[in-house]
Amino acid sequence: MGTPIDTTAIGGCRPEAAICTRAVTRDFQAGQQTITVLHGIDLDIRAGELTFLVGESGSGKTTLISIMCGILWPTQGEVKVFGTDIYELSDSDLVEFRLQNIGFIFQQYNLIPSIDAANNAAVPLIAQGMDRLEARERAVAMLEKLNIGDQADKLPRQLSGGQQQRVAIARALVHEPRLVVCDEPTAALDASSGRRVMDLLRDVAVAEDRACIIVTHDNRIFDLADRILVLEDGRITHDGKDMPEGH
Amino acid sequence: MLWIAIRMLTGDAQKFYGLVFGIAFSTLLITQQLTIFVNLIERGASGVYNVSSADVWVMDPVSRTTDVAYAMPSTALDKVRSVPGVEWAVPHLRAQASVRTKDGDLEGVAVIGVDDATLIGLPKSMVEGSIEVLSQPDSVIIDDVGTTRMFPGQSPIGERLELNDQRAVIRGIADAIPSFTSTVVLYTKYSQALNFVPGTRNRLSFVLVGAEDPLQAKALSERIEDETGLKAQTRDEFAQDGIDFIIENTGIPLNFGITVALGFIVGVAIVGLTFSLFIRDNIKQFGALKAIGVTNAKIRRMVAVQAGLVGLVGYGLGVVGTVFFIWGFSSNPTFKGFYIPWQIPLISLVAVFLILALTGWLALRNVLKTEPASVFR
Amino acid sequence: MALDLKNLSFSRQILPLIAIVGLLAAVAFILAGLPDRELSEPGREPPRAPEQLAAEARVAGSGVVEPSSETIQIGSALSGLITGLYVQPGDRVGEGDLLFTVDDRAVRAQLREADAAIAEARAAIVEAESSRNTAASQLALYRNVEDPAAVSRAEVIRAEGEATAAGERLRLARARLDAAQARAGSARTEIARLKVRAPIAGEILAVNIRKGEYVSTMGGGGAQPFIEMGQTSPLHVRIDIDEEQAPRLALGAPATVSPRGASDKQVEALFVRAEPLVVPKRSLTNSAAERVDVRVLQVIYQLPETNGLFRVGQQVDAYIAAEGADQ
Repeated sequence: MGTPIDTTAIGGCRPEAAICTRAVTRDFQAGQQTITVLHGIDLDIRAGELTFLVGESGSGKTTLISIMCGILWPTQGEVKVFGTDIYELSDSDLVEFRLQNIGFIFQQYNLIPSIDAANNAAVPLIAQGMDRLEARERAVAMLEKLNIGDQADKLPRQLSGGQQQRVAIARALVHEPRLVVCDEPTAALDASSGRRVMDLLRDVAVAEDRACIIVTHDNRIFDLADRILVLEDGRITHDGKDMPEGH
Repeated sequence: MLWIAIRMLTGDAQKFYGLVFGIAFSTLLITQQLTIFVNLIERGASGVYNVSSADVWVMDPVSRTTDVAYAMPSTALDKVRSVPGVEWAVPHLRAQASVRTKDGDLEGVAVIGVDDATLIGLPKSMVEGSIEVLSQPDSVIIDDVGTTRMFPGQSPIGERLELNDQRAVIRGIADAIPSFTSTVVLYTKYSQALNFVPGTRNRLSFVLVGAEDPLQAKALSERIEDETGLKAQTRDEFAQDGIDFIIENTGIPLNFGITVALGFIVGVAIVGLTFSLFIRDNIKQFGALKAIGVTNAKIRRMVAVQAGLVGLVGYGLGVVGTVFFIWGFSSNPTFKGFYIPWQIPLISLVAVFLILALTGWLALRNVLKTEPASVFR
Repeated sequence: MALDLKNLSFSRQILPLIAIVGLLAAVAFILAGLPDRELSEPGREPPRAPEQLAAEARVAGSGVVEPSSETIQIGSALSGLITGLYVQPGDRVGEGDLLFTVDDRAVRAQLREADAAIAEARAAIVEAESSRNTAASQLALYRNVEDPAAVSRAEVIRAEGEATAAGERLRLARARLDAAQARAGSARTEIARLKVRAPIAGEILAVNIRKGEYVSTMGGGGAQPFIEMGQTSPLHVRIDIDEEQAPRLALGAPATVSPRGASDKQVEALFVRAEPLVVPKRSLTNSAAERVDVRVLQVIYQLPETNGLFRVGQQVDAYIAAEGADQ
């Protein structure tokens, strides 16, 4: 998978990096105390890889992923996504940037319960302003890629967990984003469905110019990763193809 | 996106109907109570509105309403006629009298004497008979609501009454808006009315004036006041005087004001609670949408559309309910002439708008405060 | 939103549709139900100020039509039964035309009696004249006798006495004739008085007696006059002006007058005079109660010929220019 990147290097981002963070720290106020969750994260995420972000609860992985996809401001540091310094953008430009470039898969799927699977999958396109019927067509095509084209007319509550997750994946991919962020995709699924979903995600999501970050601590699926980053107490402690021993 | 918002709203039928009910109930309460209120106090002006051709009413300076009037000497008519700008002026008598019915019952009535020659002062239309019947001796015309009170279930035409020891024969029924007290009204000629009402020397209650230029009625009334020393009110002013009299002398405005305020508060409570619950239920979806890239402005529009749909349906049903109420009771003599002033639905529309804006704003605060990052927790 | 029957949603499509249709119906209902408070023109023409006075200072008054002679209430000098009635209401009569006659039989009997007395007196005169002539001849005869012894002195004295007496009887008879003639004259005058005649030329306005009725000269207080008449060409109209308005009145200006109930027919009436006496306003509205608190100036105007538009006793409305108006 190309030459390893010196993640400790300080300085400018390489142009080929999909996501590049430099000295990102994040503090939270808890009463009088200031808790530092991230301690100067320097990270480059490459496109075309399935990157796993692994860590215990409270290790800061959710904070890091939030910062990387432009929904949480870092206290300090610089974040570039495909060369754009996203926290230099205005609020509305940042929202628009997310809409065009980032696909989200949430742990709880967060599907809208009152619209059917195809419409749920079409939400980003509709939000971009695409005609509703065209957006739906493209969403159905995406659902077919994910092998649930026959469920397109069903409401989320009529679908199994794995099917809902696939609808969520379809929603994340339907607008062809360059960055896909996936939060605990298998947490709510049994082992076999989780596996199937991940296989599908790997098949469909991974593309030449697309970066794909998956936050998980599900060790059953670590073997699917191209790169695994381990986060402990706000610092990257491991970066490699496989999990270090002891995890 | 707005379409999704509506789906989100109607997807939760319970809350949707709760919201619609809240708005419909508020609208119904506000519209219906305001309608009844306005119609009730406008009964104070019915005496003025029943006379369709007078631009200005001239009366003694101490007179206040059509029913609270002090009589003038009969030459007041000529004085008024002498004022430039007065196209015509006719005498008008209003007095209380007791009438003995055929059964021997005593009933208080209002006797209205209209100008002998022109019959100016009669209501615009008749239910039965024509105004020409007044040319027959001892004729009176009764108002339609008075008919139901004095002659329930029978035709009053041809009935004889005894007024001040005089014989009076009912020969017509006028289509008139009843007064606040729904007193039976008998219309007759001025000269006849003088006989029907036991009298003092001065009997002329009002002089009805037609203006050369009806648009200048206000200026004319001022000129009449200057030149004659009498009190002159334009039709609208005098109608307002009647309404003010009711407002000042009854507790009606307070009562209805309380009910309308209650309607508003109930609306805010029901809609506010339900809307907040609805938004809270969907806060995760809103958060997800915010993360995906939906701006706060779009979220606001979504909530606005949701509020708009609830408002449209609820307001529509509430107004329709009021219409059905008024329509259903229109045959009841108590509600005779009741109508929905066009301003009232607009007022309740504003109230609905305020309710939804207030509750929507409260509910939106949560959504807008939601960090998109919360979706990862 | 594409309308897909299969996906027709009650809450999303039907309910808002119901609401909108309901609202539209409600709008129609509300608009249709709004009360008609438009001012309307009166159905019958009320009295209006004439155009040239519409925007001018003016004085309005009401009044009553009367004959230019004012109304003459014909009475009878003598009481008695009516034996002849020669006029009807509306008749035009000349001065001196017979109106009605009262029973004259008693007076005619007196006349005949007087005539008889006249004849008797005339006969007595003739008889007295002849006896006077006889006595005078006899006396002359005695006086012509020269021989005093031929006629005794006593004879002469008797003849003189007879001649004197005959002359006296003649004077008496003449006096009786005069008396009888005077009686006849008086009876004729009475007969003439029993024929009631028109005092002026004019129109009979009312006849309240019928043939055979008894008329009394005594006449009760509120008794109707036997016959009312007056000069009705031209007619006059007596306008009451409120005393407060009176000073503003332009005396001498014509008045615009319309009868009650036909106020569109206005005529111009010429000023005749203002009554010098301001009187209490008399109510003209059938009420028994008089309004004594208001006094009015009465102004008389002459109506033009209008062919029956105005009648005596009719109420009218009048507009007159006020002092300072452009007339």
